[in-house]
Amino acid sequence: MIRPLLLRLAQAALVLLVMSFLVYGLMGLMPGDPIQLMAAGSPTMTAEDVARLKAVYGIDRPLVDRYWHWLAGALGGDLGFSRLSAQPVAEALGPPLRNTVALMTCSLCLALLLALPAGVAAALKAGRPLDYALNLTAFAAISLPVFWLGLVLIMIFAVGLAWLPASGVETVGDGGGGDRLRHLALPVAALALAGFGHYMRYMRSAMINALSQDWIRTARAKGLSWPQVVLGHALRNAMIPVVTILALDLGTLFSGVLVTETVFAYPGMGKLIYDAVMGNDYNLALAALMLATALTLAGSMLADLLYRLLDPRIRHA
Amino acid sequence: MVNMRAALAWIFLLLTLRLAAPAGAETMPLTIGISQFPANFNPLINSMLAKNYILGFALRPLTVYDKDWQLACMLCTRLPTLENGGAVRETLPDGKPGLAITYSIHPEARWGDGVPVTAKDALFTWEVGKHPETGVSSGELFRRIVRIEVRDDKTFTLHFDRLTFDYNAINDFQLLPAHLEAAAFAKPAEYRTRSLYETDTTNPGLYVGPYRIAQVVRGQYVVLEPNAAWYGAKPAFPRIVVKAIEASPAIEANLLSGGIDMVAGELGMTVDAALAFEKKHRPEWVVTYKPGLVHDHITVNMDNPALADRRLRQALLYGLDRQTMVQQLFQGHQAVSNSLVNPLDWCYDPKVRSYPYDPAEAARLLDAAGWPAGPDGKRRDAGGRQLSLELMTTAGMRNREVMELVAQQAWKRLGIEVTLRNQPARTFFGDTVLKHAFPDLALFAWVSSPENVPRSMLRSDMVPTAANNWSGENAGGYRNPAMDRLIDAIEVELDRDKRRALWSQLQALYAEDLPELPLTFRSDPFILPVWLKGVEPTGHQYPTTLWVENWRVEGRPR
Amino acid sequence: MRRLLRHPPAAFGAIVLLLLTALALAAQPLQALLGIDAETLDLAAQLAPASSGHPLGTDEVGRDLLARLLSGSQVSLAIGLSTALVAALLGTLVGLLAGYRGGTVDALLMRLTDGVIALPLLPLLIVLSAVDPAKLGLPAEVLRSPGGGLARTVVIIALVGWTTVARLVRAATLSVKSHEFIRAAEALGAGPARIMIRHLLPNVVSPVIVATTLSVGNIILLESALSFLGLGVQPPLPSWGNMLSGALDLLGSAPMLAVWPGLMIFLTVLSFNLVGDGLQRSLDPRRS
Repeated sequence: MIRPLLLRLAQAALVLLVMSFLVYGLMGLMPGDPIQLMAAGSPTMTAEDVARLKAVYGIDRPLVDRYWHWLAGALGGDLGFSRLSAQPVAEALGPPLRNTVALMTCSLCLALLLALPAGVAAALKAGRPLDYALNLTAFAAISLPVFWLGLVLIMIFAVGLAWLPASGVETVGDGGGGDRLRHLALPVAALALAGFGHYMRYMRSAMINALSQDWIRTARAKGLSWPQVVLGHALRNAMIPVVTILALDLGTLFSGVLVTETVFAYPGMGKLIYDAVMGNDYNLALAALMLATALTLAGSMLADLLYRLLDPRIRHA
Repeated sequence: MVNMRAALAWIFLLLTLRLAAPAGAETMPLTIGISQFPANFNPLINSMLAKNYILGFALRPLTVYDKDWQLACMLCTRLPTLENGGAVRETLPDGKPGLAITYSIHPEARWGDGVPVTAKDALFTWEVGKHPETGVSSGELFRRIVRIEVRDDKTFTLHFDRLTFDYNAINDFQLLPAHLEAAAFAKPAEYRTRSLYETDTTNPGLYVGPYRIAQVVRGQYVVLEPNAAWYGAKPAFPRIVVKAIEASPAIEANLLSGGIDMVAGELGMTVDAALAFEKKHRPEWVVTYKPGLVHDHITVNMDNPALADRRLRQALLYGLDRQTMVQQLFQGHQAVSNSLVNPLDWCYDPKVRSYPYDPAEAARLLDAAGWPAGPDGKRRDAGGRQLSLELMTTAGMRNREVMELVAQQAWKRLGIEVTLRNQPARTFFGDTVLKHAFPDLALFAWVSSPENVPRSMLRSDMVPTAANNWSGENAGGYRNPAMDRLIDAIEVELDRDKRRALWSQLQALYAEDLPELPLTFRSDPFILPVWLKGVEPTGHQYPTTLWVENWRVEGRPR
Repeated sequence: MRRLLRHPPAAFGAIVLLLLTALALAAQPLQALLGIDAETLDLAAQLAPASSGHPLGTDEVGRDLLARLLSGSQVSLAIGLSTALVAALLGTLVGLLAGYRGGTVDALLMRLTDGVIALPLLPLLIVLSAVDPAKLGLPAEVLRSPGGGLARTVVIIALVGWTTVARLVRAATLSVKSHEFIRAAEALGAGPARIMIRHLLPNVVSPVIVATTLSVGNIILLESALSFLGLGVQPPLPSWGNMLSGALDLLGSAPMLAVWPGLMIFLTVLSFNLVGDGLQRSLDPRRS
């Protein structure tokens, strides 16, 4: 058990290293130098200023040099300063990360809370009106872009009914738990609805698949009650694709949702990564993207672990 | 479908039922929506619209362009000129002509912690500004100053190494509090991260304006409160909150739900979003459009042999109905531009050649340029090559894409084949425009300032090449010695009337030569509540917030 | 196929899909017949209401909405369906190989999958947008033509979109490959290719169908995000995704601009999923 785990961790470290180089390289290859672009937007900057600033920020040095410099620092625990916000990377990363964790945890929990029972119910009633109703809801949720859904929610609940704030994370001068929850309500609802469609469809299909397996009949024949069969056996088996999808989502979950964040003026990781990449803020972008990569790898490991728990047969394979 | 419509109707019915929030009008804060959150707060390090907007409440530059685009004193007492003796010609030690200009800081000006603003602050600011390692983006002004002489506590003289018409404009000379910032400057290379503006943004001593920054929640909002040390007229609001909301629909929703009171014109909504908002006839707000200094135009690649012929460029402009396009797109709130000088600028020449829509004249010019129309209506040269142009712009910007589509359709009618190729802004500006790499036409905008000499855009030595490391912004490759001479002459002509004549010549040459096809100057839409008075849009890069003490409340609902 | 059509929802889905495809194929003649076209701007008729000249009215620059929906269906259906299929094929191949072979192959392929999932799209796409097709040996005309642009979009989305299917197929393969019938096939001397295709594939197909049918809507929307970066279709060519995102700013004043393309995407997603459900039933080895 220990050896495969260590091997897996070594693999993950290697992937992280390769990815950090790839991301650094991609950012370096992006056309347009941020200093030059800055100069184009401000009439008082001269060519001399551009050259000087490139030297100040070290952008005039070869990409590979800069990457080694960054890597040496990062391995030593020094993530450097965010070039754009003039803050240490950890400080610049903190609040958006907290916001994203709050948003994504709430919306994922809500989505699963609704989707898993709905998926099971639809599977049990496959081909009946309940199944159709749930499926139609899921399809509608999938077809609607989240920004659209978000705007309609804002129009109804913030503008029309004035029950909830239209955007932001907290009211100026408040920022208590209740206030934050009120601000979370709409973005969470929009994201959860979109997530609902996906998870519900996977759950339903996996459940239908599991219920048609031979051993379900065997279990029934052995005298197990229907709820025991459904909850104890079929559900456990059906969770495999759902767990896979969940694990897949873990990394993307914390790289933020740019469009939703924009619609709700909710500063999270999506906006941070977008700005950092577009502004060639290497230190900040690398830290954020490596975090997302690490979570993706962790999700993948977690999924493999869960398969073993969910499906005893995999153990002997 | 019927249900969907009914639901939407229901939503918009609800929009009209919202009630005003209760509270005392005098003690109510003003909440402003802007579309961007400033990345940093140090006023000298770089220039960023969101930062300039917020710092406008809390800082005061020495000089600034006022709402009539005239240079004026803000933190200084009197604008020094050659005429009033504040500026004196002198000869530098190396024999070149120079200029000594004396400024006096407002006698009552104090930093928020009560420390007076003095000439020492000016000296310190210059040290920071000219130091190569601090990362100050616009260092030109500081490098031109060879020496600063402190006359007394409040008076100092700047010695410049050259004589230009805008000699007394030191708008970028944004004073820093030496008593607080000196420690951070001890290591100049670390100044930009150690500056108190970044590490202790709410320190009152950093601010000199009517307000000071009292709270910053990054990415979300900035709270401003009155500065106790402010020497001018008392501002009207006990608190101003500036919220960053990027998406136009979200800004609109915040207005309607009471999340914000107004939208800044400097960086808020686009004109079309404001027009859509205005159409709903909301009586609680007034929408004002102020033409600005962002000039949408099509730069022509002059190295393309076909386009090097002036007649073809003129034909393109005659063949495009800019009047109808701009009128329909912006409902009369933006005007067609005839030259690179904004009509609000004093040096604009109203007699400059305009190109009214005239497809017959366009066809005649095309024939004359050797592109007659064939029986299929398509234009070909003597060699049988079809006249085909590629028009490029940034992808995803709706207004630009629409103008591009209108141009494509108009020129197709003339028999010119037009293909469109759009790129992300990064690629378009960073590669295609910067490196002079578009084959024919590129639609984009210049940001300028009042009486901005187009040296980097039109002078022949400003064509970006690999040899000059792609510096210069003459992306079309326009080279005309007459234009070069005019640019050089304007820069050193101190006499206003003579300069006006030179500007007229420059505009005439521009309109004749058409190195760019001018389209329109963009407007800034200000969405203000009816009870807010005294906000005077400027149209240039200096924001309305610099005059916040003139903002007043009249009849605000409780 | 007959079994598929015996399932009424699937039959409904198939008919709608066929209808949509027929409309897309007949977009040009239909537009000619109705006297409308998708590209002509008419700034004098912005946001015009429905009329005989414009059956669904016009958009914010006076283009006929119906014509744009018709033309947009070509781009959106072509990209939505073909990308989903390419991504599904690629993902199934990787997932089967990784799951069945195990060991080093599995580790390599799955870490590659992790890498692709984690790869940030934004800088990648911007770099791609600056790549000059001529330098890759592709004639510029190919990429400038609508067909070339479509192909590029399909390739870009498929290259990053196969990971979900790969992970799902691998998970299902791991679970199925220990069954007795696989052992039996191996004992009978069936080669790995035969085992994967004949025995494993039918048993892992159900999550593939769900993932693929669900992805169609996302792909249609993702195409508009690519257009936003200049990598999708170039104007004036419309697509449903572009129409929908373009209508965002006008949601308050002209909601129908967003409702129509949204409805088309909904119909496509719905019918594709219904067909998928039917397919899943008819392919289920245990039901035959």
